[in-house]
Amino acid sequence: MLMPTELVWLLGAVAKGDEAAFERLYDATRAKLYGVLLRILGRPALAEEVMQETYLKVWKMADQFDPAIASPITWMVAMARNRAIDIVRKRGDVSIEDEPEALEVASEAPPPLARREMTEELKRLLSCLGKLDPEKQRIVLLAYYSGWSRDQLAQKLDIPVNTIKTWLRRSLIEIRECMGN
Amino acid sequence: MYDDDRDALAAEYVLGTLSADERDQAEALLAIDPGFAEIVRMWERRLGELNVMVEAVEPPPDVWNRIRAEVEGVTPQSAAEMQAATPALEESAPLTVPEAAPETAAVAPPEPAPEFELTPEPTPDVPSEPVLDLLSEQAPDLAAAPQDLDDTSVVAALASSLLAPEPQAEMPAPPETISPLIPPPVGRGADIVNLQRGVRRWRGVTVAMSALAAILAIYIAVEQFAPGLVPLGRQAPTAVAARPQPVGSRLVAVLQQEPTAPAFLLTLDPQNRTYTVRTVSATPEAGRSYELWLIASKNSAPRSLGLVGGNEFTTRPLPASFDVATMRGANYAISLEPAGGSPKGAPTGPILFTGKMVESVPGSPPPG
Repeated sequence: MLMPTELVWLLGAVAKGDEAAFERLYDATRAKLYGVLLRILGRPALAEEVMQETYLKVWKMADQFDPAIASPITWMVAMARNRAIDIVRKRGDVSIEDEPEALEVASEAPPPLARREMTEELKRLLSCLGKLDPEKQRIVLLAYYSGWSRDQLAQKLDIPVNTIKTWLRRSLIEIRECMGN
Repeated sequence: MYDDDRDALAAEYVLGTLSADERDQAEALLAIDPGFAEIVRMWERRLGELNVMVEAVEPPPDVWNRIRAEVEGVTPQSAAEMQAATPALEESAPLTVPEAAPETAAVAPPEPAPEFELTPEPTPDVPSEPVLDLLSEQAPDLAAAPQDLDDTSVVAALASSLLAPEPQAEMPAPPETISPLIPPPVGRGADIVNLQRGVRRWRGVTVAMSALAAILAIYIAVEQFAPGLVPLGRQAPTAVAARPQPVGSRLVAVLQQEPTAPAFLLTLDPQNRTYTVRTVSATPEAGRSYELWLIASKNSAPRSLGLVGGNEFTTRPLPASFDVATMRGANYAISLEPAGGSPKGAPTGPILFTGKMVESVPGSPPPG
C-alpha cells in the first residue's frame, strides 16, 4: 500500500511530467476512485468517463496540489466526486424508481472496517457522527456515499424535503463543532 | 450571517446535496472567493475520510489506455498555458496569461528511491505509532473511552450497511462497449438520450459530455468606462484554471475588481429567460445603490437592468426587449448611483465593476 508521503512524492513527480510516476499513481488510486464514482453514477460507462476526466485534471493540475491543505487521495476523490455530482444533479431529479440501480459489483457486503484500519481522522468523524440521531446519521451518510439530492433523500426516506434540509444543515453544524478545526 | 451562509453552502456542496442551481453558484463563488474556497477545503477534509470506507472496485484496463492517450503531449506546464489562451469567445477580451502556477511544494524524494509496492486494492492508511500517541495527547476526549468506541463502531456499522448492496439488487450486465472519449462519444447515444430525458429544464439543449472543461474568465476593464476614477489602475484579469463546469448551456459573468473585493455574479438562464445577480460581500454606502447596465456594443448606450445588491440573490425575468443573443455578447457594468438608481437612464456615478458573459459549456459552437 502506498503511504500518503509516497503519493505526495508521486504527485510531485507528475507535476514535472513524469509519466511513469503518473502510471504508478493511477495504479495506486484507481480502484478507490472508481469505487466512489460507480456508487454515485451507477453506470460503468459514465464512471469510466469521469475517471478519465479526473486523471487528466490530476495530470494537468498536479503542480497545484499542496500537501499542507489535503492528502493526495482526498484531493483526487474530491475532484472526481464533484464532477460526478455535477452530472447526476444536471440529470434532474429522477425518481428513485427510474434511477438505475446503484451498481452492485459484489454480491456480499464489504467486510466491516476494523478499528485498527481506521485513520484517526476517520475515527474522529465517526465519533462525531455517532452523536447525531440515527436518522440524521443515515441522511448524512447516504448523501455522501450515494450523491443523492435532497429530493431523492426525502423520497427514499419518506420525509418532507424541508425537514431534510433542516436536518442536514443542523447535522453539518454539529459535525463541524464536534470536530473542531 | 454571511459566514454561516457560506459555511452551510460549502458543507452541502461537499456533501453533495445542493441543487443544480446552488451548485452553479457555489462553483462560481469558488472561482472568485478564496475564503469560500478555504471553507470548502475544510469540509472536504472533514468529510473526505468517509471515502476510506468505500469499497475499491477495479476499473477496466482500457481506462488507463485512454487516459494515457489523452495525456500524451500534454505537459502540466503547457496545459496551463493552453487553458489561459482558450477563452477567446469574443474579440476584445484582454486576458493575460495567469501568473505561473505556485511552485510545487518542495517534496524531496525519500532516499534511496522508494520501492513502490503496487497492490490492486489500496487499504486505508494506518498512521504510525508515534502519531497515534501524539493525537491522543492532543485530543484526550477522543481517547478510547468505552462510549466513544461504541459510537464509532455503531456508526461504522451503519456506514457499512449503507455501503452494502441491497439484497434484491441484480448482478450488473457486462459493461457496454466503450468507444474512445476523444472524439466526442458518438457511440454513446444511450447515455446522452437518458441524460436529456431526465433533464427537464434543459429541453433542446445539447448536453455535452466534453473532456474539455470550459473556463470561467474574470474580465476586468474598468478604465474603458471610467478612466482615472478608479485609483487601482488597470487590473490584470485572472484566468481561472479549468474547473468542473456544469453540464448544459449556462451563461455567467463575474464582475469584480480584484480577487478579494466585492463582486457580483450575473447568471443568465436562456431557457427560462431570467437573469440572476448574486451579490458577494458588496454593501453600497447609505444613500447609494448599485445599478446594473448592459452595454451591447461600444456604440450603443448602456441599458439598465435595474438595481442590484439589495439581496444576496436577485432574479428577474428578462425584459421583452432584451434578447438572449444580445445578452450573450454584451459587456456588463455596475455603477454606483444615488439611492433608487440613476435619474437619467444612463450611468451618472462611477462604474465600479464590469464583466462579460461567458458561456460556461457551449451548447453549440462558440460564435465567431
